[in-house]
Amino acid sequence: MASAAKRLEAVSGTAAPQISFDAVTLQLGGKTIIENLSLGVRPGEFLCIVGASGCGKTTALRLAAGLYQPTGGKVNFDGQPMREPRREIAIVFQDYGKALLPWRTAAGNVSLALEAGGTPSAERPARIEELLRTVGLPGHAGKYPSEMSGGMQQRLQIARCLAQEPKTLLMDEPFGALDAMTRQGLQDEVLSLVAASGATVIFVTHDLDEAIYLGDRVIGLLPHPGRIGIELKVNLPRPRDQLSTREHPEFLRLRRQLFDFIKATEQ
Amino acid sequence: MNRAVIIWRVASFLVAAGFIALWQLIANLKLVSPVFLPGPDRAWGALVRGFSSGDLWSKLAGTLEHMAYGWLAASIAGIAIGAIIGSSRTMRTYVAPSLEFLRPLPVSAIIPVAIAMLGLTQAMALFVIAFGAIWPIMLATIHGFAAVEPRLYEVARSLQMSRLAVIFKIALPSASPDILAGMRLSLTVALILSVVCEILAGLDGLGHWVLLSARAFRSADLFAGVILLGLTGYVTSVAMSLAEHRLLAWQAAQR
Ligand SMILES: Nc1ncnc2c1ncn2[C@@H]1O[C@H](COP(=O)(O)OP(=O)(O)OP(=O)(O)O)[C@@H](O)[C@H]1O
Ligand SMILES: [Mg+2]
Repeated sequence: MASAAKRLEAVSGTAAPQISFDAVTLQLGGKTIIENLSLGVRPGEFLCIVGASGCGKTTALRLAAGLYQPTGGKVNFDGQPMREPRREIAIVFQDYGKALLPWRTAAGNVSLALEAGGTPSAERPARIEELLRTVGLPGHAGKYPSEMSGGMQQRLQIARCLAQEPKTLLMDEPFGALDAMTRQGLQDEVLSLVAASGATVIFVTHDLDEAIYLGDRVIGLLPHPGRIGIELKVNLPRPRDQLSTREHPEFLRLRRQLFDFIKATEQ
Repeated sequence: MNRAVIIWRVASFLVAAGFIALWQLIANLKLVSPVFLPGPDRAWGALVRGFSSGDLWSKLAGTLEHMAYGWLAASIAGIAIGAIIGSSRTMRTYVAPSLEFLRPLPVSAIIPVAIAMLGLTQAMALFVIAFGAIWPIMLATIHGFAAVEPRLYEVARSLQMSRLAVIFKIALPSASPDILAGMRLSLTVALILSVVCEILAGLDGLGHWVLLSARAFRSADLFAGVILLGLTGYVTSVAMSLAEHRLLAWQAAQR
């Protein structure tokens, strides 16, 4: 119930932002990648970011993770300036194959986050089992990542991120490399995981449908340099449903609007 | 074990048996004087005699000790130095060229230097063996540390892992296949240099035994020593392979 209240707050916009970009500019190698980006993400909000390839989505997410420091402006987390990455902010990378430790089993990979968070070793096995069950990998604890399919590896990465007990979950095209069926299944799983934990999410994707399906709000970035070009509030009922949500007139209207925007930026 | 493997094993065994038979034939026909070439029968006899009198045991133990100490010292120093150089880009750019200069230097060239500084002592042997054996390990470690997936460092940063945890949980395991391969190469180097040092400095070991036997024209004893050295090389390398196999079980899963 608490998370539902939080979500309502997030959507209605009364809460103070958990992550805020304040006129953020980032230059890399003498090139301005992000310019004057201002953005607030409220606690419990599910924000999706879309945009053409190379417009700075990943860069924006890395700024939110503290992996980059802005060259101008400020990134704040809970009102404090972000100086470095922190455990409360978990990041799910698109290239799950590179983000997992190949020499550790599924259980070992989840354990990495628990070890870093100081969970006593006696409590880890139970936590690991619970987390693997949560992401739909029960009974795979002893497998190495290389013995798992792409979808399973991405689930495993999500499990490790959940082990951080993050306040914010950053996801960079997490399902980009997966087939359509696996993708839809994981979309619903992420939605229910997030609903259960009340975490704030910033979700980067290429897929406009995915963005609308998942998000409370969708932001479209303009390229060269990256800045906000469109901002849409998604007033679709939750829990969402793969069939009825995607047929909802509001869904179709938003989809049309977003599609036109992306098309215009690509010219 | 499948059929192909069994056939290969049998074939390689037959080849070895064939060599021994040929050796016996040459010795029996006295194609080479028995003073220089004993047959496998006499070499075997010398082995049995050496072990039952205990002489060969102590020589073998001596060589194994030189080899082990030198190799362990090389491994510890090689991994530590390699880790420091490999994990920093600046270190790599500044130090790597000097390493490339030192590496092809034959170890035999530094033996006189070592003898001049340390005398004909165990310390000299340890230094020479370790110096020769450190290169494959150190270079492999540098390579392994430099090749750690950058994404994993980002994972470590977002988990706020300590420096020590990053080294032991990310960098070292990631570099372990390279490091173990380097350690295996060094094993052979350590054995060769143990023998060389024993011969040069008269240290107790198989090298010394081989030298003395040759001087006294005891060819059977000489061959017993050589056979034992070959076996030492073979057994240590098999043991190393087994250890690698166990430690890198995750890699087998990857293929
Ligand atoms: N380290 C860097 N140094 C210089 N330029 C960079 C660096 N990283 C990214 N860029 C440039 O910044 C721009 C935005 O990159 P970014 O990866 O954020 O785009 P993206 O929106 O995530 O693209 P995609 O959809 O292809 O993943 C690109 O033009 C890229 O070439
Ligand atoms: Mg990207």
